[in-house]
Amino acid sequence: MIRILVCQKWVAPEGDSRGASHSPADRAALELALHIRDRAEDQTEVIVVSLGGPGALHGLRDSLARGADRALWISGPTDLRSDAVAAAIHSAVSTHLVEIGVPDWVICGDYSADRGSGSVPAFLAAFWDAEQALGLVQVTEHSASSLGAVRRLDGGRRELLSVSSPAVLSVEGSVATLRRATLARELAAATMEISEATAPLGPRETPVEVTAYRPRARMLAAPAGQTALERVRSITDTATAAAHGETVALTPDEAAERILTALRDWGYL
Amino acid sequence: MPDSPMPDNPMPDNPMPETPFFEVVVVGAGPAGSCAATVLARRGVSVLLIERGPFPGSKNMYGGVVYPRILDSLHPEWWEEMPIQRWVTRRSTMVLTENQAVTIDFRSQNWGVPPYNGATAYRPDMDHWLASKAEAAGARLLTSTTVTGLITDARGQVCGVRTDRPDGDVACRMVIACDGVNSFVAKEAGLYPDLNPANFTLGVKETLGLSRSVIEERFAVRDREGVDIEILGGTQGVNGGGFIYTNLDTLAVGVVLKLPALAAQKTRPEEIIAHLKSHPGIAPLVEGGEILEYSAHLIPEAGRSMMPQLTGEGLLVAGDAAAMCLAAGIWLEGVNFAMASGMAAAETAAEAITAGDVSKRGLAGYEKRLNSSFVLADHDKLSRIPGLVLSDRVQHQYPQMIANVVERVFRVDNPQPKPGLRKIFAEERKRAGVRLRDLARDGWTGMRGFG
Amino acid sequence: MTQDNLRWPEISFEDRIGTARFDVGERAHITVDSRICADCSTRECVVACPAKLFVPTADGGILFNYEQCFECGTCYMVCNREGAIAWTYPDGGHGVVFSQT
Ligand SMILES: Cc1cc2nc3c(=O)[nH]c(=O)nc-3n(C[C@H](O)[C@H](O)[C@H](O)COP(=O)(O)OP(=O)(O)OC[C@H]3O[C@@H](n4cnc5c(N)ncnc54)[C@H](O)[C@@H]3O)c2cc1C
Ligand code: SF4
Ligand code: SF4
Repeated sequence: MIRILVCQKWVAPEGDSRGASHSPADRAALELALHIRDRAEDQTEVIVVSLGGPGALHGLRDSLARGADRALWISGPTDLRSDAVAAAIHSAVSTHLVEIGVPDWVICGDYSADRGSGSVPAFLAAFWDAEQALGLVQVTEHSASSLGAVRRLDGGRRELLSVSSPAVLSVEGSVATLRRATLARELAAATMEISEATAPLGPRETPVEVTAYRPRARMLAAPAGQTALERVRSITDTATAAAHGETVALTPDEAAERILTALRDWGYL
Repeated sequence: MPDSPMPDNPMPDNPMPETPFFEVVVVGAGPAGSCAATVLARRGVSVLLIERGPFPGSKNMYGGVVYPRILDSLHPEWWEEMPIQRWVTRRSTMVLTENQAVTIDFRSQNWGVPPYNGATAYRPDMDHWLASKAEAAGARLLTSTTVTGLITDARGQVCGVRTDRPDGDVACRMVIACDGVNSFVAKEAGLYPDLNPANFTLGVKETLGLSRSVIEERFAVRDREGVDIEILGGTQGVNGGGFIYTNLDTLAVGVVLKLPALAAQKTRPEEIIAHLKSHPGIAPLVEGGEILEYSAHLIPEAGRSMMPQLTGEGLLVAGDAAAMCLAAGIWLEGVNFAMASGMAAAETAAEAITAGDVSKRGLAGYEKRLNSSFVLADHDKLSRIPGLVLSDRVQHQYPQMIANVVERVFRVDNPQPKPGLRKIFAEERKRAGVRLRDLARDGWTGMRGFG
Repeated sequence: MTQDNLRWPEISFEDRIGTARFDVGERAHITVDSRICADCSTRECVVACPAKLFVPTADGGILFNYEQCFECGTCYMVCNREGAIAWTYPDGGHGVVFSQT
């Protein structure tokens, strides 16, 4: 039996449960799972998991209606920190869905409708010690145990990945368009059973206040130069063709050290 | 979840065994549909209420005042639960010309205490609540689902609906069409012989944000009291009218425009609202309000004369789908008519199902019920009023005449002595180009209609 | 208060329509046959559509966008030309979502 776990977050706009939804990415995650299941030769099961208040049950029913086989609701606060969310999901699945063991695939949207940090999938991969392929924009081919995907990199570049299970994937909304529920299934989902677990208390997401970054003040030597003009030039670098970039070939450890040194030099740390 | 028959457990006489079955399918979870579904569910009839919006009320807008006394029997003490904004304790009718306004103002504190009279409310809130009552009674609600057609059997009897979901057919014994003003269900069943755009008005509205205290000061109300202002004139020559209603911390300001008149000229709906808002009699009331939501919807305006056949083979039509809305000048009531007709349709359907005859003949009790209730009684009494109110004379000549008469009555022309009212009236009637014969006839129509 | 203060600072149409929420579906629920519109001189839809979705084009046709539509039905009612407008409701769950009206 192949098991695909889909993690979704049901998010309501402030004070109005009527506009609640899964993010397009979370919807794409479910569709990808259903797609893999429908084409798999081995028996395959899609299990949806959602952590949150009772509103999450609506989201789970919606996913059941659209074709998920089973659902697990982890009751808990919606603002747990990503590592705590992942820990809660990992432990709830391990204790309430024992038969699953390590899921073959864990598929998440790469952001929730309330735009979290998108780091839950990475923590999940750590907990299950699985491969991870995050931020997929396209899944090109798949079998039940491996798939090819495209990942977005900075600067408009793309990375082609080949991933084999067990793995944690996070997908963007572009990966798939979620199917609608059939009428009979939509009606049936209203009374389908949903397993329940409770999230252990964990650290909350600290609300991040977004302000423009200001490097802290640091001591600078007086600029060199005889005249005011020269000193200004030496600060602003106008006349020199000084290299602002630097290419180095280093081991990852050295590279990390080098980056930190540079940031320190520039006053960012 | 309420207990109700599951689709995989079809009733014995499901004509389409593979298809989910309900005894009655109600199309549209507006006030008509939700009240119909509530009545049916309470009578033990299995009922599916289908709504195309993501939640009931999401597609629905109106002016803003509901008269829910009809709910006394269905949801006693509805006023404890219903999501309302303010209780209407003041009603005004304003007649506007370009720079004049005549207002008749009525206030009653009786309307501010149970069982109340009218209330302002948002449709997405109210319709959502009404549908939740239907669910609590045992009806199944299916949202995000558009009914796309009727299924009929060999005898031409309606026995199901098609929806836009995959495998979207539902089988049933009969359908109640509560799908609102555009009712494609009633049209498909051939119950609307012809569709005349002149029978419809377009309502456009702005929800304006203002603080509670500013609203209460400007409209001279306190606590949860609210105001309902109906406006005649002020629509820039397009036949129609306007309204202002007070919500808790918003105002509803809008105009209602006769379709052919709107289409035949050059001013767009939002410009007509803007013009109304800048009228010297209106501006001080609405100034500073930030537009929180702009919305629009059609109204079946012609009352009795445009009503379709209300009964088909296995089909009943209720609410705006049957043009039950009462839009007669100082009245703009549709929600109460929708609720009452939905309830009447459901009572009839429940009886017909028990009797085992949902043919047109078996459903004949519906029209009888409506005739003996306010629904058709009011429509019959006021059948000529919509035409009168939207007529060119009432729209373009009378407001000017009335305003000029009132202006001269109150004007102090010293050292001239005050002129007699009769003289002013005769002069202003002539000035406005109103013929005495038309005035007398309109007066008579109005007296008979309103009286 | 001066006359100027009474003047309403009207918002742009984009801002106005932006106050309403639309959960746009993938299927265009209304389509307009611009070839038929090319022969239409009355253009009822242009003035009457509350969402201002009918835009005359330089070549005499009509440009129509279905996205921010109130699903009111005004356009098919006022249009006098057979076949110019194909009108349906959006797929279930999509289209306008009112909240305070
Ligand atoms: C501008 C304006 C101002 C008004 N002011 C007032 C007022 O102040 N007071 C008052 O009492 N009345 C007022 N009315 C009238 C009132 O809104 C209507 O009479 C009332 O809403 C009718 O209720 P209904 O249930 O028949 O239809 P609706 O409220 O229109 O409900 C129909 C429902 O059916 C659904 N539906 C339609 N087609 C389908 C389909 N194919 N499949 C699934 N679902 C479908 C719709 O989404 C909707 O939820 C006003 C109307 C307008 C437009
Ligand atoms: S939609 Fe109808 S009214 Fe509008 S331009 Fe085309 S033909 Fe004319
Ligand atoms: S249905 Fe109404 S809002 Fe939509 S295009 Fe037609 S007139 Fe405009």
